Amino acid sequence: MSDTLTSKLNPLSLPLRQQLGLLALALLGLTPFWMELLYAGDQGLLHIRTITIAMFIGMFAMSWDSVSGYTGQISFGHALFFAIGGYGSALLNLGWGVPPVAAVALGTVLAAVAGLLIGVPALRLEGPYLSLVTLVAPLILLQVFIWRSDVFGGELGVSNPDPLVATSGFAQETYVYFYVGFALFVLILAVLLAVTRSDAGSILTAIREDEDAVAASGLNPAKFKTFAFVLSASVGGLAGAVFVHTPMASPTPSQLLAQTVSIEVIIASVLGGMGTIVGAALGGMFLSVFRSQLSNVNATVPGLGVSVGDLDLVIFAVVTLFILFALPGGVLRWGIVTGRSLIGADGAAADGGRTPVEQTLERFREFFRGGRDD
Amino acid sequence: MALPLIDVVANAVMMSALYALVAIGFTLIFGVGGVLNLAHGATVTIGAFSAYYASEVFGFSIWVGALAAILVPGLFSAALYKGMIQRVEDDPITVMILTLVTAIAVEEIIKQGFGTQPAVISSLLTGQVSIAGGIQANSLLVFALSWVIIGLLFFAINYTKTGKAILATSMSTKGASLVGIESDRMYLYTWVLAGAFAGLAGLFLGSIQTASWSMGRAPLVLSFSIVVLGGIGSIRGSVIGAYIIGFLETFTMSYVDSSLSGLASLVVLVLILLAKPEGLFGREFTE
Repeated sequence: MSDTLTSKLNPLSLPLRQQLGLLALALLGLTPFWMELLYAGDQGLLHIRTITIAMFIGMFAMSWDSVSGYTGQISFGHALFFAIGGYGSALLNLGWGVPPVAAVALGTVLAAVAGLLIGVPALRLEGPYLSLVTLVAPLILLQVFIWRSDVFGGELGVSNPDPLVATSGFAQETYVYFYVGFALFVLILAVLLAVTRSDAGSILTAIREDEDAVAASGLNPAKFKTFAFVLSASVGGLAGAVFVHTPMASPTPSQLLAQTVSIEVIIASVLGGMGTIVGAALGGMFLSVFRSQLSNVNATVPGLGVSVGDLDLVIFAVVTLFILFALPGGVLRWGIVTGRSLIGADGAAADGGRTPVEQTLERFREFFRGGRDD
Repeated sequence: MALPLIDVVANAVMMSALYALVAIGFTLIFGVGGVLNLAHGATVTIGAFSAYYASEVFGFSIWVGALAAILVPGLFSAALYKGMIQRVEDDPITVMILTLVTAIAVEEIIKQGFGTQPAVISSLLTGQVSIAGGIQANSLLVFALSWVIIGLLFFAINYTKTGKAILATSMSTKGASLVGIESDRMYLYTWVLAGAFAGLAGLFLGSIQTASWSMGRAPLVLSFSIVVLGGIGSIRGSVIGAYIIGFLETFTMSYVDSSLSGLASLVVLVLILLAKPEGLFGREFTE
């Protein structure tokens, strides 16, 4: 056992794509160093902060992918979990003076409970109904926040809780929180990869493929779906809780709870490669960096008098939709397949060559067309 | 909170009539085409702003504005279907993402082009009618028009050839095409109808309250509740659902807390989904 584990973890014996992945991760970890070389002074620091925020968006996208990408239960409201983790942790810290680390832990537990509350009904709901419930759940939370804006700050959010780590100066703060984000990013990536590559992960994929077949083979799909929801919610809540304790974010609806946040993580995962975790992380980071770069563009759209920066989300969505039509399996899968054919190592696909998007679409199609066409 | 009951009831009846207009369009598209149109709320906003630009900016009469509030959203809806949805209507997730993104785009463009301050649209009718202590003539018009439209729709669906074809398509696309019905054309009709209804509702919402870039969100979410409560695909269910949700909303806002708007209906939606997902009058989804 230990033999296979060491060989599994030895970088030299890994397949090429995983070696490339590790290399990319190492490059990401060294961001502060090459940013320093590329840009002088504060410009470099600002870019490091952009990457830090991007890593958190990547974590949000991974958490969505671990449930929706694997089980095919499309959640339209994952922002709910980020918000419960983030707001929960911030309020515990501000209201009761709970130290940040403990507040983060408690916020994560709260998010896990929310995952259980959404995951259990998910056993009964099918396809679009689950999407509708998850679409509505964050709206309910937002209504509650507006209703009790004395506690939750309504549309403006809560003030910043204590920072996770004490720092002095802008530069030190930037570096410290980059590595806080990076450590969490690696942790979440490792946990989600381990789970989705385990036997449990195979069962989740099987649920996406054919739930009845899973039930027929004596496994309880409900149990695994709940597990996926709780795992995903805790990971999302943890990322949200740590995020609000960094100087780059604060507990506000626009950063944690808005509908656009839920949509962003879906777009990111589908773009990067639904059902791959790594693709979701890439998609999330790319989306975040792309949008922040776009919002710096000062050019105006001719005829509308609207600046390009203000339309960043719209432009991004349009770009995404084109990619969605062109590469339905996501950029990561496309890269791996293209890379393989380039080096002549093309193998047969074990899943019959259907992408998770196609499998999930199939399920939804059956639901929508159910009893009508045949 | 000492609002006279009669005023609250009058308000609830009028708002319910408006919600019914929005929800019928939503359920038509879902029931006939099997498409969850999350851009339906944005269509409401487009209706309100079409009326605003026609009447307040270009200086036409508000009746011309009303015409614009029907035509522009109808065209928008048709363009949305023809341009995007038709190509992906078999991919429900893509449809949901696409329509949601369209809604965000419409909202953003109105926000950037018009600004965030509310726009005031003049009433179609002014003055009061002396029923039950005086009701705004405009509100009465909303109520009457809503029922006229519902009546016409029922008549059209059940007694005209095109209406029957739409009904047939909603029951079985394959069966409908076997008897020579072009389902694509039927889908287009439902999108145009839904767009026109939503636009008209937008006009009234704008003249009763005000028009703003985010005004379509609440009606969209209420439509979810109404359509799920009434049963997806059932027009009758949508009308009844609209009145239940309309009354619930108005009473919660008038007697409990005005900042609770939207919350009660969302809770109802979740409860219905958990307890009876097919709704009051919905077809059972068969395996």
